[in-house]
Amino acid sequence: MASSDWVRKGIPWLTYGGLGLWGGISCFPFFWMLLSSFMTRGETLRRVFLPEKVQWANYLKAWQEADFGLYFENSVIIAAMQVGGTLLFSLLAAYPLARMNFRGRNVIFACILATLMIPESVTMVPNFLTVTYLHRNSPFAWLNNWPALTIPFMANAFSIFLLRQFLRGLPGELWDAARIDGAGHLRFLFQILLPLCRAPLLTVGMFTFIGSWNALAWPLLVTNTPRWRPISVGLQQFVSEAGAEVHLQMAGAVIATVPVLLIYFLIQKEFTEGISMSGLKG
Amino acid sequence: MMMKTIARTSGWTALLLGVLGLLACGQPEDTGSQLSPAALETVDPQGQKIVFWYQHTREREDELLELIAEFNRANAHGITVRGEYAGNYNDIYNKMIVGLQGGTVPNLLVAYQNQARAYYRAEGIVDMAPYIDSPRWGLSRDVLADYFKAFMDQDRVHGVQIGLPPNRSMEVLYYNIDWLSELGYEAPPRSWSEFAEICRKAHAQPFSKSVDKRRSLGFLLEIDASRLASLVFSRGGDFANAEQTAYTLDTPEVRQALGQMVELIQEGAVALVGEEYGDQKEFGAGQVLFNLRSSSGLPFYKSAVEEDGVGFRWDVTHPPYAGDGPYVNVYGASISICRTTPEQQLASWLFLKWFTEPAQQARWVRASNYFPVRKSTAGELESYFAQNPQYKSAYDLLEYGRSEPSLGTYQQVRRLIQDAMVEVLDGGDMDRVLPELEKAANRTLVGDEG
Repeated sequence: MASSDWVRKGIPWLTYGGLGLWGGISCFPFFWMLLSSFMTRGETLRRVFLPEKVQWANYLKAWQEADFGLYFENSVIIAAMQVGGTLLFSLLAAYPLARMNFRGRNVIFACILATLMIPESVTMVPNFLTVTYLHRNSPFAWLNNWPALTIPFMANAFSIFLLRQFLRGLPGELWDAARIDGAGHLRFLFQILLPLCRAPLLTVGMFTFIGSWNALAWPLLVTNTPRWRPISVGLQQFVSEAGAEVHLQMAGAVIATVPVLLIYFLIQKEFTEGISMSGLKG
Repeated sequence: MMMKTIARTSGWTALLLGVLGLLACGQPEDTGSQLSPAALETVDPQGQKIVFWYQHTREREDELLELIAEFNRANAHGITVRGEYAGNYNDIYNKMIVGLQGGTVPNLLVAYQNQARAYYRAEGIVDMAPYIDSPRWGLSRDVLADYFKAFMDQDRVHGVQIGLPPNRSMEVLYYNIDWLSELGYEAPPRSWSEFAEICRKAHAQPFSKSVDKRRSLGFLLEIDASRLASLVFSRGGDFANAEQTAYTLDTPEVRQALGQMVELIQEGAVALVGEEYGDQKEFGAGQVLFNLRSSSGLPFYKSAVEEDGVGFRWDVTHPPYAGDGPYVNVYGASISICRTTPEQQLASWLFLKWFTEPAQQARWVRASNYFPVRKSTAGELESYFAQNPQYKSAYDLLEYGRSEPSLGTYQQVRRLIQDAMVEVLDGGDMDRVLPELEKAANRTLVGDEG
């Protein structure tokens, strides 16, 4: 009896202990980044664990030296456009694939899924050629401007897949009821389904935001001036070929990471729901 | 069943899209020209606008932009250069390769020798030899002799000048003079056996000012092809044959270099660098006696030791050597001229020529801590030498310079070398690893016409 009591009480302790330990290990790099960002260069060289005096000046220096103000603003605008565009186009693409019956639906869906298997490095050249062509032949500039940084990423196969999976799970009676009330597909999508899609839409938005925020290779390819370059380019300013400036690198990394963490904490409940409801969770 | 169909269809579609993607990658546009020497004399560079892609950031970028502004103000042809940060070396390479497909290349760009060879093969850059030799625009015999020949030769492949060096760096041995003195030595080691002996002593007798006497090392080795090249050059070996047609990576010198490191690691006198610039950090903290690093890190070492570290006397020298004399591994990216129009190519050359003049070189050295490419720059650096004695020590080693292979696949081979280093230093059998490495390296040359 006593032994089974011990097991019953002990299992949660072990579970939470294990999870706590795993959480601690996962969070350690973030703590290390945060602590290093408050150190002097000497303290990072001597590998002390805690700074003797908090060096707020590192943030000011990182912000000024890498022109983070401009890069930050650019990243926010680019991410907002990409998230908005991705949500709109992914939803419009996912809906017919999930809820409408038409010839070739599965082939189209398979084609969309197939693009997930093509590495980014392969699509980079055709994408760049397309953008260059559009730059030369359209009334507004694509290169060194927001269109090249946002429009090619507004159609995203993974987002379409995720939303399609979610939409397929919704009961068919909703459509029948909407039809009785005289709704067409667009009205049904935006008035009935959209409010139900909050969790998967936030999930798609979060993934798109992270992708946009971390992008480096493509922005460097399609921009030649800082005017539209994102924060990842600013962060690269502290990567030196000759010596370490870990304190500034980490201050820059904290500045670049905070928005992502903040957004994640704000929507983490919906994010988890979105993943599980769309059938992606194992 | 449906998932099966989707998976099958997806596979074929991916393949089809991949092929279409590859087909979409066209041939580079033939936008420019390689002029005959006579035609070059009549080209007019007046009023040309030039774009220069570089990798420098912060202080170096600020100084470079100031130099560019000065050129724009002062040049007699009304040429305007616009400097653009294009990411690090790899980013620039990717940008250029993609740009070649889309016909959007700059006029000047920073490139390592193997990258420049790839651009030249793709007809993306021009041979600079006609510009150098041009009676009207080129370099006089005296001026040409003022460039360090070894630097110029690094960019000359089968008679083609694929770039012009704006600066160079070298691998030097950083050492702690005070600790060396505590160990009973008055000078850095001149032979590899003396180096090993001192490393063992340093392991047994920590530096008096060390922040953590439990960890005391003679040397920290970074897994990097350039570090190994230094160890091999100093033993009289090389990574490629004299004709630069094949890699030579299973040689007695490579075996000696790695063998000695394995032995010292097993004894605890040497360890591997575990984090970025970890060797620099531990050097400043008085925990490691020797570092082998680029001379461009001199200002970082200065602050690591004198401002942020435990404070001690330090200097740099060439690595220990065996054989006929010391050698140092000299390297650095050069600047290539992209194939555009004859006028823009000439304007690019004129900027490059101006940038390597001693007055500009002296300013660039002060900002970047690189070595100048013209000997006469030294005359403008007297005060800088006095303020930076370690830089002067390194500068005096330029005559011992040797360079890593300029073979087109060297970037790929560097990664193979690093993998082999890890395997050998981890206890792998050199008799198996090195022959395999050499074979794999030479396989990369198949189909690479140079």
